[in-house]
Amino acid sequence: MPPLGLAAGGDTMSARVADLSALPTMPILFRDRASRRDGRLHRFEAAVLPHLDSAYDLARWLTRSDAEAEDVVQTACLRALKGFDGFQGANPRAWLFAIVRHAFHDWLRQRSRGHEIADPFDEEIHTQEAGSQGEGPEARLLRQADGRLLREGFAALPLPLREAMVLREIEGLSYKEIAAVAGIPMGTVMSRLARARRQLQDFLIAHGAKEPTP
Amino acid sequence: MNATSCPRTAPEVAAYLDGELDLAHAVAFERHLEECPACARELAAQEALRGAIQDHAAELRFHPTPAQTERLRRAVRQAGGPAEVPAFRQWRQLSAIAALLLVAVTSWSLGRLWPPRPAAGLAEEVVAGHVRSLLAGHPADVASTDRHTVKPWFTGKLDYAPAVIDLAGQGFPLIGGRLDYLGHHPVAGLVYRSDRHVISLYTWPAAYTEDRAGPVPEAATRQGFHLRHWTRNGMAYWAVSDVEEDRLSRFARLLAGS
Repeated sequence: MPPLGLAAGGDTMSARVADLSALPTMPILFRDRASRRDGRLHRFEAAVLPHLDSAYDLARWLTRSDAEAEDVVQTACLRALKGFDGFQGANPRAWLFAIVRHAFHDWLRQRSRGHEIADPFDEEIHTQEAGSQGEGPEARLLRQADGRLLREGFAALPLPLREAMVLREIEGLSYKEIAAVAGIPMGTVMSRLARARRQLQDFLIAHGAKEPTP
Repeated sequence: MNATSCPRTAPEVAAYLDGELDLAHAVAFERHLEECPACARELAAQEALRGAIQDHAAELRFHPTPAQTERLRRAVRQAGGPAEVPAFRQWRQLSAIAALLLVAVTSWSLGRLWPPRPAAGLAEEVVAGHVRSLLAGHPADVASTDRHTVKPWFTGKLDYAPAVIDLAGQGFPLIGGRLDYLGHHPVAGLVYRSDRHVISLYTWPAAYTEDRAGPVPEAATRQGFHLRHWTRNGMAYWAVSDVEEDRLSRFARLLAGS
């Protein structure tokens, strides 16, 4: 890929997010433990719980299951609570996403269903076929895709692409935030999104074309 | 430009559409769009896709059910609430910390009662280093009276930067520097002259040898060599020479007080 001028770098944030999820909490004695814990819990609930729905959305897209999504979000929330004392970032939502993502990958490993991410996923294969669909009605076709078809299209994306696409299109994160959450460079975010959109377009055209549009 | 493909391809189109290209690249890309039907079509397709996704954003977003939300909130409250840590665990933590504290205090007191005396052995090493350099007829690895030559010479040879002070005006001209190995560390040796006598000044971070010497030079004599030893700004200093004791005292005071 030619070096492109992306709007901003994402290094500092990615470092912060990675650090925070691993931070242990240190017990501080000689203070009223109960009230300290109450205050801490209160701050955690105020900062993190507003993003519970977003966390669930990401987990649900990653796991593709309601029950598993709840488990992953619960694991992530408890980890977030544990590491909350060290959290000083300005973006609790992205922080929670990163923890959800880690919890999901741990869950994936535990279930020894690693084949989904173990699938060879070559970042270097770019969408060379861009524009190969020929002239014509693809834009109109795409514009008419309905919610059900889009949902199926998203669900059919390979995991790394699905993750990037959900964070970008549904949760509205910037490239920089996605890079921080997924721990990947901005250029990789860009190429994953491009591939995801290409695949989604192909999916929608292939499946939408079968049904006559009103 | 081929009508069906373009090397700029989808990633740049996507970044443009997402508003993630910086201004210069966005302007360049817009200029490129005017003459590249492949990119223009790709942009139209991606815009259409984006439009469709935005139209159905509500359908694409998953929400936990109220029951799920309640379970998740309860799990957090239980894990973060005071009831979760049972008293015996607090006691365990407390006793573990108390035990650590006891060990720390004990070892600190033992250290005070029986302090290691690195200075005794180090004085011998310092004298030996000085004598070795004289025997070899090679007091300095870098021979220069210019401290701006001597100081950079140590760069890359040591993990600290020794202070190199010129005392030519006070009758102790700098004649060079050398590397030595004392107290199990490579250290800087600065070489000064006082009339016909050579003074070696060793310096290293005091932490290397857990040096507890004060800022006032302490005197010692070994095998007829006089020594002065002090610390300053976290660095340990050892001056050694066969020069008269008064001269060495003056030399040490100049450096320790300068």
